[in-house]
Amino acid sequence: MSGDTAVRSGDTVVRSGDPIVRAIGLAKHFGQFQALKAISLDVFRGEVLCIIGPSGSGKSTLLRCVNQLEKVTDGALWVDGELVGYRREGDRLYELTESQIARQRLATGMVFQRFNLFPHMTALENVIEGPVQVLKRPKAEAIAEAKTLLARVGLDHKADAFPVELSGGQQQRVAIARALAMKPKLMLFDEPTSALDPELVGEVLTVMRDLARSGMTMIVVTHELGFAREVASRVVFMDQGQIIETGPPSEILTRPGNPRTADFISAVIS
Amino acid sequence: MLNQAAGRETGTDIAHLRHVPRRYWGRYVSAGLILLFLGFLVDASAHGKIEWRFVGQFLTVPSILYGLANTIIMSILAMALGVVLGVIIAIMRMSANPVLRAVSLGYVWLFRGTPAILQLLLWFNLALVFPTVGIPGVWEARMVDVMTPFVAALLGLGINQGAYSSEVVRAGLLSVDTGQYEAAKAIGMARLKALRRIILPQAMRVIIPPIGNEFISMVKLTSLASVIQYAEILHNAENIYYANARVIELLIVAAIWYLVIVTILSLGQAQIETRFARGAGRRGTVS
Repeated sequence: MSGDTAVRSGDTVVRSGDPIVRAIGLAKHFGQFQALKAISLDVFRGEVLCIIGPSGSGKSTLLRCVNQLEKVTDGALWVDGELVGYRREGDRLYELTESQIARQRLATGMVFQRFNLFPHMTALENVIEGPVQVLKRPKAEAIAEAKTLLARVGLDHKADAFPVELSGGQQQRVAIARALAMKPKLMLFDEPTSALDPELVGEVLTVMRDLARSGMTMIVVTHELGFAREVASRVVFMDQGQIIETGPPSEILTRPGNPRTADFISAVIS
Repeated sequence: MLNQAAGRETGTDIAHLRHVPRRYWGRYVSAGLILLFLGFLVDASAHGKIEWRFVGQFLTVPSILYGLANTIIMSILAMALGVVLGVIIAIMRMSANPVLRAVSLGYVWLFRGTPAILQLLLWFNLALVFPTVGIPGVWEARMVDVMTPFVAALLGLGINQGAYSSEVVRAGLLSVDTGQYEAAKAIGMARLKALRRIILPQAMRVIIPPIGNEFISMVKLTSLASVIQYAEILHNAENIYYANARVIELLIVAAIWYLVIVTILSLGQAQIETRFARGAGRRGTVS
């Protein structure tokens, strides 16, 4: 596998052991339309993988397959050593039940483009909902941890605010805290800054940068090439449902090997 | 034109003039006409063959109050059954399971497609089809003993209401953004928990106004149960006027009580709506 080579991010070598995500020949169809075509990809623990590409290139679909918001139609996908969505018995793959899928999802945390905070709950209630309702943690403990997380994203003073009372950037930071509260092994970001006013992008990227520095494994679908250049250990360029090229940001973003990548990057920058 | 006018009248000329509000003559005229009509109604009812003292006298007789209590109890119980069934049927309708979807569609088709009074009569006369009810050898009872007017009315009205409520609930569930389902899944929630904790509380905002409306309909719909001898207020009013022939007076008594219940319900609805507006932009700005 190509993923066996060490990947460098700044000065640190981040590749280690088994990949946390492994996709082999992954495909996804929506009726006649093929959103993903034979995707093979390894993501290693501690890596920050940025997926870039034009809209409709399948990058969000790939992310949504990782936490099973979309069902893979062909190929195989492993997350944290477990086959996603299926159980192997002999030479057959049996589909998992809904509760088994829900349990598999606990390995990942997801941050959405449109935040998707629960509007009928305060920021704090949003963050403790998963730990209390799904992980069955004692409420007092969950509240204490949620307050720490909200402080980490700079919003401890907004714990009792409803989402509607927060700016887009603040909502997205609460959403990150909500995902982190489940102690995921992998964080997925689906264009986390695309729905934000330009002046609010920075505060969200700052939180993500801190998270990356703390060693969290992250897969980030983004149009923020500056963020990718600075934080990513690897950049994946996708187009028309395929991975066109993969490499360290210094390579992909400055001297891309494929003309399609070059076209996309110059279009985004200009 | 405007510029010419502005040219002739300088700003200082016009700025100190008094503002005179527009007069709405049509409103005075129509209000006068309506008062005249009301006066005519009051006069007619005073000279007509209505003995108002009977209305006052029968308003609080035990039989009427008992009927009132039964109307209220039946409204609440039938509505509760209707809402519970409605939620279940709506969730089944939106399930991925085709069997559940078909059952839900069939239920709505059947109970929305036949008149409520017919359903009441069917339940009440179920003994004609099944003389006994129970599990053979374990427990058995005669259907006529089980299917009392109360049980028949509750089943008839509640199950009928379930068909209507399910459409209201479904509309509410559909009104919640799909991103909310995804966010709930992403934190590892199973479908039913997500519905209960995340989706339904948000759907309530959309569901409550039409359910309030349905509740008010239900209060009046319970009067249908008079045909199967359920002792609700209209049934008892009828029984009194069969004896004393004060038909209009007793119908007015019943009408007054219906209006009282409906008024109280309308006030209660506003309270509940405020409660479920939590986080819905009443304090902050809506983006």
